[in-house]
Amino acid sequence: MSRFNRSKLRNAASFEIVVAFTLLAIVAFLAIFGKLLQSHDPMQGDLMARFTPLGQKGFLLGSDHLGRDLWSRMLAGLQWSMGCALTANIINLFIGTTLGLIAAERPGWPRTIARQITDTLQSFPFLVVAIVVVVIIGHGFWPLVLTLGFLAWPIFQRVVYAEASSIFQRDYVKAARIAGVGRITIMFQHVLPGVRASLMVIFAFHFAGLLIAESALSFLGIGAPLGVPTWGNILAESRQYMLKAPWMMLVPGGAIVVTVVTMNLVGDGIAGLARRRGRSIDA
Amino acid sequence: MNTASDRPVVRIENLSLAFLGQDTVVEALRGISLNIAAGEIVGLVGESGSGKSVTAMSLLRLLPRGKTRIPATSSVNVLDRDVLKMSDVELQRVRGGEVSMIFQEPMTALNPVLRVREQMFDVILRHQKITEDDARKLCIDLLRDMKISDPERTFNAYPHELSGGMRQRVMIAMAFSCRPKLIVADEPTTALDVTVQAQILSLLKERATATNTAVLLITHDLAVVAQLCDRVYVMYKGKIVEEGPTKTVIGNPQHIYTRALLNALPEGKAPKSRLETVAAAMIEGEAAVSPVPAAPIQPVQVASGKPLLEIHGATVRYPSRFDFLGRTTAYNTAVDGVSLTINEGETVSIVGESGCGKTSLANTLVGLVPLSGGRITYRGQDLAKLDPATRREIQIVFQDPQSSLDPRWPVWRIITEPLTVAGRKSRADLRAAAGELCTLVGLDPKMIDRLPHEFSGGQRQRIAVARALSVRPRLLLLDEPTSALDVSVQAQILNLLLDLQATYGLTYLFISHNVSVVRHISDRVAVMYQGQIVETGPADQVLSHPTHAYTRTLMDAVPSLEKVFSAA
Repeated sequence: MSRFNRSKLRNAASFEIVVAFTLLAIVAFLAIFGKLLQSHDPMQGDLMARFTPLGQKGFLLGSDHLGRDLWSRMLAGLQWSMGCALTANIINLFIGTTLGLIAAERPGWPRTIARQITDTLQSFPFLVVAIVVVVIIGHGFWPLVLTLGFLAWPIFQRVVYAEASSIFQRDYVKAARIAGVGRITIMFQHVLPGVRASLMVIFAFHFAGLLIAESALSFLGIGAPLGVPTWGNILAESRQYMLKAPWMMLVPGGAIVVTVVTMNLVGDGIAGLARRRGRSIDA
Repeated sequence: MNTASDRPVVRIENLSLAFLGQDTVVEALRGISLNIAAGEIVGLVGESGSGKSVTAMSLLRLLPRGKTRIPATSSVNVLDRDVLKMSDVELQRVRGGEVSMIFQEPMTALNPVLRVREQMFDVILRHQKITEDDARKLCIDLLRDMKISDPERTFNAYPHELSGGMRQRVMIAMAFSCRPKLIVADEPTTALDVTVQAQILSLLKERATATNTAVLLITHDLAVVAQLCDRVYVMYKGKIVEEGPTKTVIGNPQHIYTRALLNALPEGKAPKSRLETVAAAMIEGEAAVSPVPAAPIQPVQVASGKPLLEIHGATVRYPSRFDFLGRTTAYNTAVDGVSLTINEGETVSIVGESGCGKTSLANTLVGLVPLSGGRITYRGQDLAKLDPATRREIQIVFQDPQSSLDPRWPVWRIITEPLTVAGRKSRADLRAAAGELCTLVGLDPKMIDRLPHEFSGGQRQRIAVARALSVRPRLLLLDEPTSALDVSVQAQILNLLLDLQATYGLTYLFISHNVSVVRHISDRVAVMYQGQIVETGPADQVLSHPTHAYTRTLMDAVPSLEKVFSAA
């Protein structure tokens, strides 16, 4: 907190960062401790209490067509969706960074191959490929995570390749090579710290994208197995009751929007901090 | 020149300017006054941060209004109208019309996606009511005036098809295109080679005289001022500390800063003598710790005579064209059969202009670029087959201290990076070593936990030297180590290098385009031109009595204070 002295808090950019990270903390808290906050069993319906509006009969966010508590279902779904997006994101980060570094450090055939794989993958519309793959390998948590994890990484590769290439040209990398520092050491000590800020920014933005992708696939009925409470499934179920019980749609829809906006704000925030730090470092 | 002296083109009175940061106010100008008469060439000299560029920018009100503060007592009169109080419409007529500007970097000053034609038309048609046909003729004439041999082709070319010198000629032609009363030239030749610089400067002077245009030349190079300017203003920390006719100011400087600046120039000083540095108190942020040997330098015994590094017919080629299978079909030859011997304890310099291959040669010596032909031996062993410990005896200091230090690493880690390879790992040990090395290069050892951006350019170059020294090298390659630095800082670094050589008997291979620096520091000089060494010999002999035609051209082009005064 020492970096955040009062003058920095005063300006709008910092205010945005505080909001972003507060929201992120809330989302993370709900995802981790959601089980304890559930007021009902998310799977157990009370047929006498179908379509209860918000806040009535102990249903904080109302109940659905089977009388299940939406608040509890949303919490369970948050864990599922966040877990899926986070795991897939980490796989993306790992594959993308590795291929980006290979392409930047090794000209010749390794670079060509790394770039060709990326280009090929990126030339297909991501969701369409994802749908085909999920249909083939079946749905569930891990099939979905692996599909997203192995298909959505090109953005990481591109950014790491671009930034690492420029860092490899710097004189301090040359100086390290002249001193006899090994290529792996150079990679971990000079290059990776240099791309770290950008990686964090993309990680945040990409997280939002994966969350939407997960919801979209679940909504189409090919993501999470039917009945498992995920945000996409909850949203899908609400379709038929849109007019009768609009909260069934607004709650998961709103939650997705808020979470995605939060991740984007976090991304902006990190980018802003990195820029400010970069200004003083690179100036 | 005296015809319009009663009505100066520029009259800046008591101009102060402060930049407003988030919670800081930086005073860039502190009440400067400056006059330029019609047709007069006036120099504005100072080191980086002195406020000379800010002065030029405020002439055209190019600085963002919300972020600067100018007191109401200031006035900037261009042709008797106050630029500070003009409306935006009036200002647009002045910009590019009555006052035009030439920038330092011709690459970025021209739009890369537009032909020269479109960019010249853009300026001319905005300020003059003439037909496109007339404008075309005018452009061709202007380009011909700039001694461009094929003005038609240049006129239709894109900027990337032109060399740096050509681009700067186009810029000057554009600057003259609307018959301005004043041209502001901000370091117009700093990015160019000396031979090109000489041509551009004489063209600028010739055109200005022919059209009776006033020129405000902003530069850090006193020799350029001496060659070109009628009068000169010397700036220091936002103030004008001295002004007057060029010959008076340079020949008989009154202010301590002007004197210090002149003394810091290696030109005309005894080779290898300590250069006077601008008093430490005058330089912001530069550490006042003196380097180890305070005693006057003993000239290094010109070597045990034993050759340390021998280069035999070294050739370096880069692939330039590939066939569809990715095989190389053509090469660019950067270094073409160079032979050179460097003896232990001496300083050999390689002088040459950009693209002559001097940096490629240095990269080869430290193993960054493979040799395509020829042989290099270090202490009798083949350079390519050296064991790591011997290889570490060759270290390098780069030109740009900005890019040569990892911005995320504290100084102690930067300095001791080569030591970690040599097997020293303990943090306490490395920090102690970093402290010693800092003292050695004249930095406060208490600063080893800071990051590079907290240091000035000169201090950063000291850090780079400390890193190179950490593994006790015998041969130090210095690739333009002072060309990114101010004159006064350059003097400090040169002193440091000479001190270190005297203490440790280091051997230097000094690569530079700056002839006066080379003359100051070297025992022997090799002149490189288009990948080959065209002349080599003792420094004084090569630089004072050149035999090769290229060396003569180079020496004639070097701006020098002596030449100006001996001509007078």
